[in-house]
Amino acid sequence: MLFNSYLFIFGYMPVVLAGFWLLGQRRRDWALIWLTLASLFFYAWWRPVNVLLIAPSIAINYGLSRALQRYGETRPVLARVVLLSGIAFNICFLGYFKYLTFLQGTINDAFGAGLILTHVILPLGISFITFQKIAFLIDVHAGRVTSFTFRDYALFVLFFPQLVAGPIVHYREMMPQFHAAPCRFDAENVAVGISLFFFGLAKKLVFADPLSRLIAPLYTQTTPVTMIDAWIAALGFTLQIYFDFSGYSDMALGLARFFGIKLPVNFNSPLKASSMIDFWLRWHVSLTRFLTAYIYNPLTLALTRRRQAKGKPVFGGRNTTVSAFATLLAGPTILTMFVSGLWHGAGYTYVLWGVLHGLLLSVNHAWRLLRPRFWRDARSYTRLMKPVGFVLTFVSVVFGMALFRAPTIGGAVGLWQGMVGFHGLTVPKALFSHFGPVANWLQALGVQPVWSSGSFLMEAVLRIGILLLIALCLPNTLELLSRYEPAIGVRPPRQQPAWMGRFAWTPSPAWAVGLACVAAAGILSLGELSEFLYWQF
Amino acid sequence: MNRPARFVAIWLVSLLALVLLIGAFNAAIDPYDVFGAPRIAGIDLFKPRAKNHSMLAKTYQIERFHPVTVLLGSSRVHIGIDAHGAAWPAAMQPVYNYAIPGWYGTNTSYRSLQEAVAAGPVKNAVIFLDFQNFFAPEPTAVVADEDQKRLLVQADGSPNPARRLQRLSDAALSLFTMGALLDSAGTILAQHDAVVLDLPVDGSSNEADFINAARADGMYDLFAQKVAFEQDRAEGLATFLANWQGPLPNMDIVSRIISYCRAHGIALTLAIAPSHGDGLELYWRAGLWPRVEQFKTELASVVAKDGGGAVPLWDFSDYSEWTTEPVPASGDRKTPTRWYWEPTHFKKALGALMVRRMFDHDPTPFGVLLTPDNVAARNAAVRAQRQALVCESGRAMLTALPHPRPTGCDGSGISTRESHRGPT
Repeated sequence: MLFNSYLFIFGYMPVVLAGFWLLGQRRRDWALIWLTLASLFFYAWWRPVNVLLIAPSIAINYGLSRALQRYGETRPVLARVVLLSGIAFNICFLGYFKYLTFLQGTINDAFGAGLILTHVILPLGISFITFQKIAFLIDVHAGRVTSFTFRDYALFVLFFPQLVAGPIVHYREMMPQFHAAPCRFDAENVAVGISLFFFGLAKKLVFADPLSRLIAPLYTQTTPVTMIDAWIAALGFTLQIYFDFSGYSDMALGLARFFGIKLPVNFNSPLKASSMIDFWLRWHVSLTRFLTAYIYNPLTLALTRRRQAKGKPVFGGRNTTVSAFATLLAGPTILTMFVSGLWHGAGYTYVLWGVLHGLLLSVNHAWRLLRPRFWRDARSYTRLMKPVGFVLTFVSVVFGMALFRAPTIGGAVGLWQGMVGFHGLTVPKALFSHFGPVANWLQALGVQPVWSSGSFLMEAVLRIGILLLIALCLPNTLELLSRYEPAIGVRPPRQQPAWMGRFAWTPSPAWAVGLACVAAAGILSLGELSEFLYWQF
Repeated sequence: MNRPARFVAIWLVSLLALVLLIGAFNAAIDPYDVFGAPRIAGIDLFKPRAKNHSMLAKTYQIERFHPVTVLLGSSRVHIGIDAHGAAWPAAMQPVYNYAIPGWYGTNTSYRSLQEAVAAGPVKNAVIFLDFQNFFAPEPTAVVADEDQKRLLVQADGSPNPARRLQRLSDAALSLFTMGALLDSAGTILAQHDAVVLDLPVDGSSNEADFINAARADGMYDLFAQKVAFEQDRAEGLATFLANWQGPLPNMDIVSRIISYCRAHGIALTLAIAPSHGDGLELYWRAGLWPRVEQFKTELASVVAKDGGGAVPLWDFSDYSEWTTEPVPASGDRKTPTRWYWEPTHFKKALGALMVRRMFDHDPTPFGVLLTPDNVAARNAAVRAQRQALVCESGRAMLTALPHPRPTGCDGSGISTRESHRGPT
């Protein structure tokens, strides 16, 4: 059941909310049990057999967590074994469903083994659920989670607004909210929830999906993609996934808010980023947080201790040595981003995308270390270099997205070649013939008129231009609703432009009517069902 | 009521009002002519947005129209033959143009014929067959599931149980979607254009697309663009038919159409639609000419056998003066053509001529009634027409292609490369 379907919006959600509020008036725990069962139903709707897979996994993880809680202080070695077993179990669980075919294919590619590929159907949201369960085990082992029941644990894992595509949440930030939630109709929560949900729906259906249909043929065409088309394909997909993921994240925040729950920030205008580091603090924030906390930090810590034990220099700000940088920052960063790429999809393109971002992040870190040596005035640096950083980051992200969308590395390379002009520059003849004397000048420069669709080009440029303006110049949903804490910890900035204060969301009649228009645009675009891109992960 | 509660209430009421208002607006403008709303001059007299939803629009139109004659075929018939023209004999009127624009399969004509007969008192059916469309399997892009579910009867002739639900869905999508809203707005905005595309109640087209394109780019560009497109298609068709043995595909559908018409007392007329010489040259280039002749030969045989002599089969596909008019020079945006918009789409003037030839005894020597007895002579005559026009006079056909040197002028009429693939 997609969030962007008639069934979900007009069937599932009203029933679940009505049941939750009605039961909540009697007993809070009934309402929470109802929410857990409704979440399980939501999950089963997709493919009922998935419940048979996820239910034992939840039970096993719960049992391991109990064992960790029991032996954590009294028998630390046993607890560590339990923890490692739990992590191994979850990774194997994910590995079997998501990576077995990829592994067999890789072995075949590398050694010509001729293994018969096993086609396993991927349970919905398995990547998100697995990471959450691993995080829970680690948190219990570290003593960050001390008290939990099976009912709470099941609700934590299954809570449907974030079940399928995140954000990846921590038990300790969710359960206190469930325990404190009023479980009754709360007008403010509903008003904020409606706003977030329908902003998200419109982003997905009005912005992302039409772009998806527009650019799809460019990724399947068999002839080389020429320069303008290649940029349309790359920019188009960047904006498609941007509004798709942004829309999903808003809808997840809105749905959770109906139940009085605030989810963590997952998406915060990443295309406005002025560096790669900034980008990853804005794009899929909860994944970055997970990878940093559970892979990058422990790895860096272990490597630092090892170097210290050997008497080698460690990370030291501006005085960091090349070897310390490579070992303690670049290496772990690239490895972490390799995992991020692999997490996104079992394919070479995703892995290469992750490694590429790891390299770009390392370059960004290196620059941050080197820059003060020759450009000491931070203020002038920021003033001059922030726009440069924005352009470099934007172009890097757009180039990287080719790997995310192209079916093969060869396809992505072909698109890159097109973007830098290896496949020539063509313009539809219908437009070219109206250029007058400029046409000859363009032809002399190598621009070729071809029989392609002029209306396609016009529509693509118009759509991409408008969406870029929206993504880069307008405040995002979190900023608009910041007075009402739309996500955990989001508050109005201390300093904000006066116009922002005037336009910020409030439960006013003007916003209600405006939002009704946004909701109508979303609802009227429900005709064609389309999955969120991040649901496939 | 506190502020957030008032917000929720105002939002809900506004949303409902907005959605209902949009639904009412779409119902009034009716951009796809699904509801048959009154057409008002200056507001929605023309329906330019119905073109991209022709399967939807025409199915609803024909059920309201109750034609005596139904015209079937591809976009060439949709654009090139007027259903309301004076060329039609009074006894055959009213005529509904149920041709579907886009790449359609032969089976579509059969299903459309069933729909037309189920909808009204159809007495005559005129079906134009295209060589290039004839072999195509039913394309899902055009005849999607919903297009089948919408019809009155299923393929076996029994009542269609899925129809009610599909029609509800059609109504919902025509009233409560963003696409319908944009198309309604587009319909109103387009009314004051110089030439407005339309889908009149009889299913004909007013050629506005071509008129506007010809004004903007000139006839040469229209021809050149279509030649480039059709060249790829012809090559694809050549690959598809390269190893084809025995009778050509889809002939059984012609048999079914003939049997259906006989069973329902419908006077059927079949015609092979004409292409401009530029279009025919593409078949020569792709090595398809033997297949063109095979197509005519087999068609004549099937029609004679199943039709029992009662089904006329007209062949308008040749190199006559009506199909070989010169293409204006590149950059010329003023000189018009008389018969063709581009190599495959003929103008209404040629459509009217064909109608008069078929039903009004017009003596113009364009097209022949094809029978098993004369098909070999007809094929030879067309080859001779080409030999005289293209090979001997050196007339540069395919002006819009980069290599105008004609193929197959080695004396045999069929190039040596493909001569081994003669009609079977």
